[in-house]
Amino acid sequence: MIAALLFAGVSGLAAGAALTLPRRLWRRGLALQAAGAALLAVAGFAALVASHPAGAAFTSHLAPRFGVDRLSGFFLGTLGLIAAPALGYCTRYLDDSRRGRATAAMTGVFVLVMASLLCARDPITFLASWELMTLVPAAIILVHRAADRESRRTVFTYLAITHLGGAGTWVSVLLLARAGALGTAGVVASGSGLQAVVALAALVGMGTKAGIVPLHTWLPRAHPIAPAPVSALMSGVMIKLAVYAMIRVFIDWLGVLPAWFGVLVLAAGAVSAVGGVTYALFEHELKRLLALHSIENVGIIMLGLGACLVLRARGDAFWAAIALAAALLHTLNHAVFKALLFLGAGSIERAAGTLRLDRLGGLLRRMPWTGWAFLIGAMAIAGLPPLNGFASEWLTLQALLHTAMHQTVGDGVAGAVALAALGATAALAVFCFVKVTGLVLLGPPRRAAVGDAGEVAPPMRAAVLVLAAACVVLGLVPGVLLGPLAALAPWHAHVPASAGLRLPGTGALPVIAIFAVLVAGTAVLAGLRGRRAAAPAPTWACGQPVVSQLAWSGAGFTKPLRLVLETVLRPRREITAAERGGVITAIAYHGEVPNLIDERLYRPVVRRSLMVAAQARRLQGGSLAVYVGYLIALVLAVLLAGRIGLLG
Amino acid sequence: MTSTAIAGAAVQLVGGIVLAPLLPGLIQYWKARLQGRPGPSPLQPYRELRRLWRKSTVDVAGATAVYRLAPSLAAASLLGAIGLVPVVADSPDLGVGHDVIALIGLLAIARFALAAAAWDTGSGFSLMGASRDLTISVFTEVALLLAVTVAAIVTRTTSLTGMISGTAGGHVWSSPALPLGTAAFALVVIAETGRQPFDNPDTHLELTMIHEGPLLEYAGRDLAYLHWVSAARHWLLLVLAAVLFLPHPHGTWAQLALLPAELVAMCAALAVAETLMVKMRLLLAPRLLGIAAVVALLGIVARQAGIS
Repeated sequence: MIAALLFAGVSGLAAGAALTLPRRLWRRGLALQAAGAALLAVAGFAALVASHPAGAAFTSHLAPRFGVDRLSGFFLGTLGLIAAPALGYCTRYLDDSRRGRATAAMTGVFVLVMASLLCARDPITFLASWELMTLVPAAIILVHRAADRESRRTVFTYLAITHLGGAGTWVSVLLLARAGALGTAGVVASGSGLQAVVALAALVGMGTKAGIVPLHTWLPRAHPIAPAPVSALMSGVMIKLAVYAMIRVFIDWLGVLPAWFGVLVLAAGAVSAVGGVTYALFEHELKRLLALHSIENVGIIMLGLGACLVLRARGDAFWAAIALAAALLHTLNHAVFKALLFLGAGSIERAAGTLRLDRLGGLLRRMPWTGWAFLIGAMAIAGLPPLNGFASEWLTLQALLHTAMHQTVGDGVAGAVALAALGATAALAVFCFVKVTGLVLLGPPRRAAVGDAGEVAPPMRAAVLVLAAACVVLGLVPGVLLGPLAALAPWHAHVPASAGLRLPGTGALPVIAIFAVLVAGTAVLAGLRGRRAAAPAPTWACGQPVVSQLAWSGAGFTKPLRLVLETVLRPRREITAAERGGVITAIAYHGEVPNLIDERLYRPVVRRSLMVAAQARRLQGGSLAVYVGYLIALVLAVLLAGRIGLLG
Repeated sequence: MTSTAIAGAAVQLVGGIVLAPLLPGLIQYWKARLQGRPGPSPLQPYRELRRLWRKSTVDVAGATAVYRLAPSLAAASLLGAIGLVPVVADSPDLGVGHDVIALIGLLAIARFALAAAAWDTGSGFSLMGASRDLTISVFTEVALLLAVTVAAIVTRTTSLTGMISGTAGGHVWSSPALPLGTAAFALVVIAETGRQPFDNPDTHLELTMIHEGPLLEYAGRDLAYLHWVSAARHWLLLVLAAVLFLPHPHGTWAQLALLPAELVAMCAALAVAETLMVKMRLLLAPRLLGIAAVVALLGIVARQAGIS
């Protein structure tokens, strides 16, 4: 049944991708792809609750095999849930030019590659899909942007970093395969050196793909320049597949990892969460801002995963399973609202012609469907109850709190610091998305062009509305998923099932009741407020006329925080005044918050590498005689080494 | 349902919804007295609410439903929060649970709604207040979370009813954990209720205001809701301080009897603090909250290291 659905979905995607190439059929091809993705979602979630895995089981042999178990099923479901609206969105977002159709076909291929990674049951298919998952979006970016200078540069950075870091994935998977540990827990002894090496290699390799700080630097560059539906897939699903791989390695294959590794994951999660959201706060371009928020949310997922590892090492089966479920639930939730926000950003760019936050404004009135859906997404990502982001953040906070309750000082401090980091992250996310909704949706339009913006085509509206509905539904019944997700833990833990979240040791989160209180309360109070409004009055500005040049900017709104964090962030600003005869004729202002990790970590490394490369270039004389000389020197060196016995 | 549970629920709802405005009223009254002024009566907030209830609301030209719904949504989320914060250990679950982290989420909704409304009006004053409020909220939230974590670790639950019974009696005060949590929470109360030295509730001057900023564009019943929201926030935080971080007995009736005394005492303490202190620079406020967070962290360490 599941295998048949999966096969139908994959065939739909493949046939759809092929059909998008001829001009006559390309829209139908995309619709077929979307239908295939929807089938994939059904198959995936069915596999999550199925009692037996479908297809082959994991093997350490190098022969291609495919299969689906519950964990793969959950991620496949997420993939389908995001890909279906994203592909439907493509039908109007892309045009029928050759480039548009190629992008459409490659988007289908991208989804297929991700599905293949999830269904891979042997190291070779896994690693091949892993690499293709990196390369296909790079190709899409280059095709979509016609390989302009900026996209070439960005794609180079993206490929360089993901491949350098990605070596860790190869090391960990191949070491596991050599030990015969793929799919068989307990082969790698707990606390052994091999276990530590594999875990660290996987954290670096898969962490690079997930966008964990400090390996994230490709992410805010590559995600924004892709077409909006592909950005949605990259941020919503692709980086989550790295989380999938990490769960496979850390939870399924490596047995019980030592607590220090859990603390390391917690630290990586905390730094990513706080760092991602802090730089997002000072970002002025919508898609870049959203990409930085992906780093934040991967950080939150890693906090859940880290808590799971620490709790498991301490033998707390129940809370370890809850922490794992929290990480997985946040994975799904983030996929939904991030895809919603990226698709919304695509619509906004289409309607208003720009994504510069300070040039938008007033779009809630001009594009109400997209606008309200975007607002729901913004409230969900800000972690406001009763939407889905809050449910999973609540679970993660509870898991961290229960980590802190364990009996050692180290656990207490690690749990509490991670808790504080997540608290700060949530508050910063509220700050950031108040800024985003304010600048994009509310207030007067900040440019005349934005005033003429109108609603986008129905399929583009439908895609964001479907995802907004998913944000609300997932927020209302998180408990339904909690049981199956906690059951993914390979150890036994019974989690009671209910629509809300009722867990022992907490005060319960009856989400539906909270939703009812908020909606009914708001409705009653808004009704009592009455329609006895006086005539609309302009905003009070001390009697001055309100002019758009004096409107608040995003930089102004976040300035207090920038000043508070000045010693950490080291913002730069330059004011240059052109003066002629004592009269200032022009003033230029430039302010930015440079990314410290780029500046302090990557820039020196790049500079040194280039210096070494420049030195090495001197060896390349270009004349044949020099190269023959090198060869002779090498032969002599080998002979000498043989003579003195270095070669054995 | 037992009589104690009914009494607890009644105090929780009546106190939170009806008596909350009395708390800022009392603080203002005593503050005026300490400054040698006759000052307004403690019932002044009720008079203000009655006056505002009769006035018509004003819509800002060009504003959307976000502006119009924000006060109602903020008030609804505070209503939910009042239903969530029990005053005694055996309070019944009113449907919204008793979880302390859910409470933080509900407070965040009110903040989001008001700050979004500030953007909707585009008013510089409102935005200034909102931006300062959100800046301080980052640090308040950390300190609040760590302070309640101290209590949660001491009582091994995040359910407020469990935390109330766990912190009741004298034995928890033999360890330094809870006193350190109390010190941190005291600063959180001051910051979250918007009182000096973090904010000055008496002034609408743009140089100093924080919480008053987003209120500037509202009138009539909208403004009445927002005044109530501010009063309800006083109730929530002072009740939390009383039932978690101040000594309280085990029995329900004794807890109910002690609560008013502790609330009034804290109002008096806030009045004295406001008289002695001036508002601090905005950029120094996060530092003070950072100290609160570190103090709470020390409490957690003290608890885990078994210091008693």
